[in-house]
Amino acid sequence: MKSFFLKDMQYRRARVVLTAIGITVLISLILLLGGIMNGMRIQAQQYVKSTGADIWISAEGSGGAFIGFSLLIEENMAPLSASRELKEGSLSPLIFAQARPIIHGKSTKAIVVGYMRDKYGGPKQVPEDMGRMFEASEFQDYRPEDPIPLEVIVDEKMGLEIGEQITIGTDAVKVVGKTNSLMFVLDTPLIFMDVRVAQKVLLGNYPRVNMMIAKANENMEPEKVAAFFDASGDIEARTMNQTLDDIISYYVDEPMKAVQFLRVMLWIAAGLLVGVITYVTMLEKTQEIGVLKAIGASNNYVMSHLLKQVALISVVGVTLGFCLSYIFAAAAPIFVAINLVESIIVAGISIIVCCGSGYLAARKVIMVDPLIAFRGEIDGGMFRHSPTVAYSDA
Amino acid sequence: MAAIIEGIGLTKRFGFGDAAVVAIDSVDIHIEERELVMIMGDSGCGKTTLISLLGCILTPDSGELHIDGEEIDLNGQDLSLIRRQKIGFVFQLFHLLPYLTALENVMVAMDIAKTDTSEAENRAIELLTRVGLSDRLHHRPAQMSGGEKQRVSFARALANRPKVIFADEPTANLDSRQSDNLMNLIQELRQEHQTTVVIVTHHEGLKENADRIVYMKDGKVIAS
Repeated sequence: MKSFFLKDMQYRRARVVLTAIGITVLISLILLLGGIMNGMRIQAQQYVKSTGADIWISAEGSGGAFIGFSLLIEENMAPLSASRELKEGSLSPLIFAQARPIIHGKSTKAIVVGYMRDKYGGPKQVPEDMGRMFEASEFQDYRPEDPIPLEVIVDEKMGLEIGEQITIGTDAVKVVGKTNSLMFVLDTPLIFMDVRVAQKVLLGNYPRVNMMIAKANENMEPEKVAAFFDASGDIEARTMNQTLDDIISYYVDEPMKAVQFLRVMLWIAAGLLVGVITYVTMLEKTQEIGVLKAIGASNNYVMSHLLKQVALISVVGVTLGFCLSYIFAAAAPIFVAINLVESIIVAGISIIVCCGSGYLAARKVIMVDPLIAFRGEIDGGMFRHSPTVAYSDA
Repeated sequence: MAAIIEGIGLTKRFGFGDAAVVAIDSVDIHIEERELVMIMGDSGCGKTTLISLLGCILTPDSGELHIDGEEIDLNGQDLSLIRRQKIGFVFQLFHLLPYLTALENVMVAMDIAKTDTSEAENRAIELLTRVGLSDRLHHRPAQMSGGEKQRVSFARALANRPKVIFADEPTANLDSRQSDNLMNLIQELRQEHQTTVVIVTHHEGLKENADRIVYMKDGKVIAS
């Protein structure tokens, strides 16, 4: 009678459904949190990778590009420009700073990226039908009093039209082009502009930059080039991979420690949910289990039925949670990237956790004394296991 | 006739130290094949404990137990195997599984014994028809009367063709008409299935159905 355990589940369907819903919600949250962290990692790397630069230089003591406060001065740049370790002409000034532009009268989070148009640090052109590039300044011969057009390129998701004006600091800048979804952590849009425009709107025309980025000479390894510059003691230099590690550590892993902890807690909660509900259900079924044992059921027989129920509830709950996480991800207001392989692994572990806790609960309950079958009432559902149990049962 | 069950010096205590209670005190008992034995006595005299020992649900503190000519190793043998192969139980409160139909409740006993499903279904239908429940095969316990439930319980006890059926106060929750019907049925089934039946009861009116009556008092057999 293969459907014996299914009939029991059908009889207790309210509890079965509630347990499955509980697991579904917990698993979807676990996967969603993982997806949020993945999304942050992807976005944290997106900009750095898009530049194509493999050497990232910031001020000494800054902890690396993107990490601490960094202003580079002319004395830092001069020896770098002439360095044989870098590809000729690849050294590019870069300003990367958080800002609160006023868009449609509303203060909005964004990151200002100031770079030289024909160098590394931002798009060299915009896609067709998405406006044009900003006017470039003469970086090397620039004088603060020279007029520069305050033009920017924004992410298409910002909802701005070509020709619209936004305010950064005290300056109104004009949108002349758009880029395709290049975001930083937590869907923070990037606003690209000429490095001189960035110096004007952010630094009050102070002729400094946050960092310099460059390409290592073709016959040089980026790791050795970065180590060479870093050893000078005046600047900090990192390879692209080191910079990515720094960013992920600083912007994702550190702030997300609490989320990681929460994921573990949710896992434990899912396991406890199944374990506790299985245990309580088993306590209610104590007399049934006692009767089954009295009429000859072995512990293995009872256990197999209980485990089939736990496994079915767990698999259904986890599968629904898996599907629900993708629905949540699509509806989330931030970028969520649920990794399929990781999700399958998480789902597998979750099923093991749920089945494991169910097994522990069932193992305790199947030790019920079959003598209970001769008794009329279960003592408030909390029948104590008598030391007279037929301990020779298999 | 040969003894199907023989207990020698069976003793069972519950509790420890000063609180220990001797529920069964050096009881010697033998039950012959195809006998209908009733165990009678006051409440708390040890009747249920005795059939629990004889039915391999409890293990005695001391003594020997022989079933069907074989000495049972009470601490080493798989007692659940003995219960499903040689013993059937009928309980005072029927103890049918509430989520299964009458048919499925009988089939469960055979599922436990790993009987083929179609064979189990045929036998369950046969048994339920024999106990007069052919029109109740697909009813759940909640849809049946006490007498009907007890008949399902008997059909379940007979499912694996046991050597002995132990019935604990099987008529306690039935009215006198249902009790009489059940006892008649037990007598018929015992003859048909060549089964030994041991019934624990308070019910003096059932005595006339017994081949032999075992009287108990304070954990001892005082007359047999």
